[in-house]
Amino acid sequence: MKKSWITLAVLAIGAGTASAAAVVGQPAPAFTATDTAGKAVSLADFKGKHVVLEWVNPGCPYVQKHYNAANMQGTQKAATDQGVVWLTINSTAPEHGDYKSPQAMSTWMQGHKAAATATLMDPDGKVGRAYGARTTPHMYVVDPAGKLVYAGAIDSRATSNPADIPTATNHVKQALGELLAGKAVSQPTTRAYGCSIKYPSAA
Amino acid sequence: MLRLSTPALTLALAVAAGAAAAASHQVTTPQVRAELVAHAPEGVSADKPLWLGLVIEHQPHWHTYWKNPGDSGLPTTFDWQLPAGLQAGEVRWPTPKRLPIGPLMNFGYEGRLLLPVPVTVPASFAADRIAVRLKADWLVCKEVCIPESGEFTLELPSRAATVAHAALFAAAEAAMPRDVAGASASARVDGDLLAVEVAGLPEAWRGRELSFLPETAGVIQNAAKPQTAWNGATWTARVPIDPQRTESPAAMPVVLTSDREAAGLRVRLAVTTPWPQVAKPAPLPSLGAAPAPSGGAAPVPPAEGLPSLPLALVFALVGGALLNLMPCVFPVLSLKVFGFAHHAGDRRGLLAGGLAYTAGVVVSFLVLASMLLVLRAGGEQLGWGFQLQSPGFVAALAALFTLIGLNLAGVFEFGSVLPASLSSVRARHPMVDSALTGVLAVAVASPCTAPFMGASLGLAVTLPAAQALLVFAALGLGMALPYLAASAFPAVARLLPRPGVWMVHFKTLMAFPMFATVVWLVWVLGQQAGIDGAAALLAVLVVMAFAAWAIGSPTLSPKARAGFGSAALVLMAAALVWAAPSFRPVAAATPGAGERWQPWSPERVAELNAQGRAAFVDFTAAWCVTCQFNKRTTLGSDEVLAAFDRRQVVLMRADWTRRDAAITAELARLGRSGVPVYALYMPGAAMPRLLPEILRAGDVHSALAELR
Repeated sequence: MKKSWITLAVLAIGAGTASAAAVVGQPAPAFTATDTAGKAVSLADFKGKHVVLEWVNPGCPYVQKHYNAANMQGTQKAATDQGVVWLTINSTAPEHGDYKSPQAMSTWMQGHKAAATATLMDPDGKVGRAYGARTTPHMYVVDPAGKLVYAGAIDSRATSNPADIPTATNHVKQALGELLAGKAVSQPTTRAYGCSIKYPSAA
Repeated sequence: MLRLSTPALTLALAVAAGAAAAASHQVTTPQVRAELVAHAPEGVSADKPLWLGLVIEHQPHWHTYWKNPGDSGLPTTFDWQLPAGLQAGEVRWPTPKRLPIGPLMNFGYEGRLLLPVPVTVPASFAADRIAVRLKADWLVCKEVCIPESGEFTLELPSRAATVAHAALFAAAEAAMPRDVAGASASARVDGDLLAVEVAGLPEAWRGRELSFLPETAGVIQNAAKPQTAWNGATWTARVPIDPQRTESPAAMPVVLTSDREAAGLRVRLAVTTPWPQVAKPAPLPSLGAAPAPSGGAAPVPPAEGLPSLPLALVFALVGGALLNLMPCVFPVLSLKVFGFAHHAGDRRGLLAGGLAYTAGVVVSFLVLASMLLVLRAGGEQLGWGFQLQSPGFVAALAALFTLIGLNLAGVFEFGSVLPASLSSVRARHPMVDSALTGVLAVAVASPCTAPFMGASLGLAVTLPAAQALLVFAALGLGMALPYLAASAFPAVARLLPRPGVWMVHFKTLMAFPMFATVVWLVWVLGQQAGIDGAAALLAVLVVMAFAAWAIGSPTLSPKARAGFGSAALVLMAAALVWAAPSFRPVAAATPGAGERWQPWSPERVAELNAQGRAAFVDFTAAWCVTCQFNKRTTLGSDEVLAAFDRRQVVLMRADWTRRDAAITAELARLGRSGVPVYALYMPGAAMPRLLPEILRAGDVHSALAELR
């Protein structure tokens, strides 16, 4: 019996470091990361505003689905036009083939006419793990009080086919619409879909 | 050799590739070779097996995904175009592997994979050949992920066998997760863990390290390693729940895998406790602007619609009183009526008897309720009426009623059986007798969930123990109340006839309702333990009747009594030893496909609702008299059945005669703890519409009218 308690404790610690994933309805984990220009950006800087976090990897076909169809940029623009802060985060590890330098990442975002408030680099995967981000894209919404209110997919059709975008429900747009209308988010969690985030293997 | 210009060559190649892709049964990409294959060992015709399947041969280190892909990835999807009438079934997913990727976990396949799909052929099918077209989409990943798709065609002869890939299909079948007959699996939410318990796994698997792979995605932390243990034949696991959980299933199929087996074991996990809310409950959707829900991510609070405690107490009191009108209480009531006649004129005796009866009823309700609460706290899958789910209890009850019946009929007298001291105690303490009658009344009445009682009971099992017991006490008080009132007010008692010779006849007459109850109990046991169990019980009852007569007959000489008595005791012991093993539950017979009522499963309901069809579920049990009444009347009426047919509602029966964890879990989700429950599951609604326990045709029609 005693032994199993020890095992449990060890497992709990192990699980804690592996995925202390953020919980919807709880305060969103605080973080500070550098943007593509080398400037430090903290979640705390945006207290009092709605913040959207978007995990990105330009090499992922599901990210390409939403960027090549201008769906992600359109969602970014609609959000930032309403005073919402949009942070695009790249947690790809430098040793992975999909890794882009801050410079290349900035160029890629500009080339796609992205409307994010800032693009953050998370090469050690710390921010991604704190949020339990698994896929690209993986979307989160934080409310003005700093509480995590949405975690999940960009939309309701888990395919790589851009033709499915018009018929899908955009969960981020829906959540922001509800929040800005003073309502609770009707679907606080959905299943994110896409490529696995390429975290550093030894962590 | 002809020289083509570069653009022309490119064009020619593209056309050739396009033509090949459109007409081939094979698609090759740098990551996989995919091929559409078929297996029809007896040709293609109705009732003969026909399998189609997609072979995916992965390049080393590349993988595609299981039906639950894990943290990322997508399952392979199929879009079939088959000749008219042929229908492709669900993909039969072979046992997947855990594929870790950094801190994430996927479930999928590497190497060579066949995903078989069964096809049903209609009786009208007569063509010589069939042409099959398939568009399949798969996501293939190594470190990067590539969504791929292929269009395949295949032609098959109908009159000849197609067996070229028999070995592949056999291998896929061998790798299919096996359902384990007799295994039972349940889980409780315990903080941020899912406490899983699986009993009845095969002997050979015991003691092995097992992995836990749910078929339902979005529930657990896929990468976390659960703490597992074996307690004898039971495997337990504490599985971390995904903090960003998207599903809240009441039942979840799970595949358990071992490194030493190609095929996993498939069990259906019943989740017995409500899931915690993922976030604050959403406000009610505003009119006209309801967002389209997808995936049913919003969890439903299970306690919705339950009354508050004072209201529940009132309902319990009224419900308890109504129990007296239920058919299952009638035989016991007849005993009490007899008691009234006996004590007529003795007001104090009547009142004391009434109070004793009340005490007996209330105390037995409390004892049963405490047992229920204690067992449930221990993780047992029980609900109200649980005592009648045990064949042993039913057999004992049948024996008790037989004895009472024989006694009333005058076959034997307690005076001759009981030691003198004990029978004089009984005579001197009629209150003990009254209290015992109360106990008996509760034992038999408890399964009848009267109207008003369902919600009270549902609330009671979710309340803190002290409050729950209060509800059950109110229920007991309500049941005893009419009798108590009659014994307290002489005006009611005076209405009863005076004692006389008629009492002897009345006593004998009352033996028959007792025997009728025995018939019912034998039938219940027959449902649980089969015809052998019922026959064994009848044999025991006969021997017991003989023993009662031999030992207790007032007219036998002492010598004859000794002789017959010892013979009877020997016979009795032999009969019990012989019959006891028969009182074990047997597997439920599955009704044939052609029957109107299908067996219930939550997966089937979800599937039907997804297809836009409604399902009506009759939660029932053989020992529930109200259920049987409704089954014969409202649910047996042609007019009601025709109304169901007009709306294309699928009828399902969830039989709770034996213990069934999945049914208990679904009842809990509906806020109920006993049967009958009638529920209409409509497409797009998270919770079904519940109909009254005393079901009338009008109730069914008004519920059906809500269907679009």
